[in-house]
Amino acid sequence: MRSLTVLYDARCGLCSTARRWLEGQSQIVPLELLAADSEEARRRYPTLAEAEPEELVAVSDEGDVYRGPQAWIVCLWALEDYREWSFRFARPALLPRVRDLVEWLSTRRHRLSRALRMRSDAEIAAALTSAARCESGRCGPREGRTR
Amino acid sequence: MEPNIYPVWTYLVYVSLSVTLTMWVARTLHKNGRIFLVDAFHGNEALADSVNHLLVVGFYLINIGYVTLALKTAQKPFDIETAIELLSTKIGLVLLVLGGMHFMNMIVFSRLRRRAMREVAPPPVPPQARIPVRA
Repeated sequence: MRSLTVLYDARCGLCSTARRWLEGQSQIVPLELLAADSEEARRRYPTLAEAEPEELVAVSDEGDVYRGPQAWIVCLWALEDYREWSFRFARPALLPRVRDLVEWLSTRRHRLSRALRMRSDAEIAAALTSAARCESGRCGPREGRTR
Repeated sequence: MEPNIYPVWTYLVYVSLSVTLTMWVARTLHKNGRIFLVDAFHGNEALADSVNHLLVVGFYLINIGYVTLALKTAQKPFDIETAIELLSTKIGLVLLVLGGMHFMNMIVFSRLRRRAMREVAPPPVPPQARIPVRA
């Protein structure tokens, strides 16, 4: 494997925070993070890109597809400092726990993002565009303000 | 009355025997650990030799340090019997310390090797699907 493309949910704060964290780590296998509902994702992976992704999807340059907990483990495997952890999490004794945890997080990700005040990429992009509109004096009184 | 010569002889035998044992274990480690290290460093022999040498230096320092610290005894031997008993206890302790150090070294070797294997290992989970990739 020479590279790994990760499709994440850009509308979820938790996922976007994870995306920023992944991009900040030193990588053994280069990671490319794409919003699952982006044009680029749709163009390159028409069968995988979704507007409302249910889980994290990772695709290798060879076309291997990993989903959900497996995708997370492969992401860790791609990172220099967390490769050991990927092997630990993939052990038969731990994999079901990881699966439960990832599922638990995935189903509650929007609620968790709100509770932890994690802003999604989509929200940040929206805030930026409306702020830009404000600067050119074309926004309403309450628009563009970040909470 | 003649001076008691047993303590001095016991000490001399103790030191020479302990140092010989340490050297024997260190050489064994040096000789047989090399292959592990060469593998762990992906065939980089110069680096493996360097790490091997440094490990052996640490091994010598700790063991000879222990041997010299443990030399002094409160109960002085006064005949050949008590001298052998004392020597036996002292050498037994040195052997246990050597054994412990040896296992520590083995752990270091195997950790390094395992880490090296993982650097080139494929992902720990199999893919769930395969899609054709566009060039």
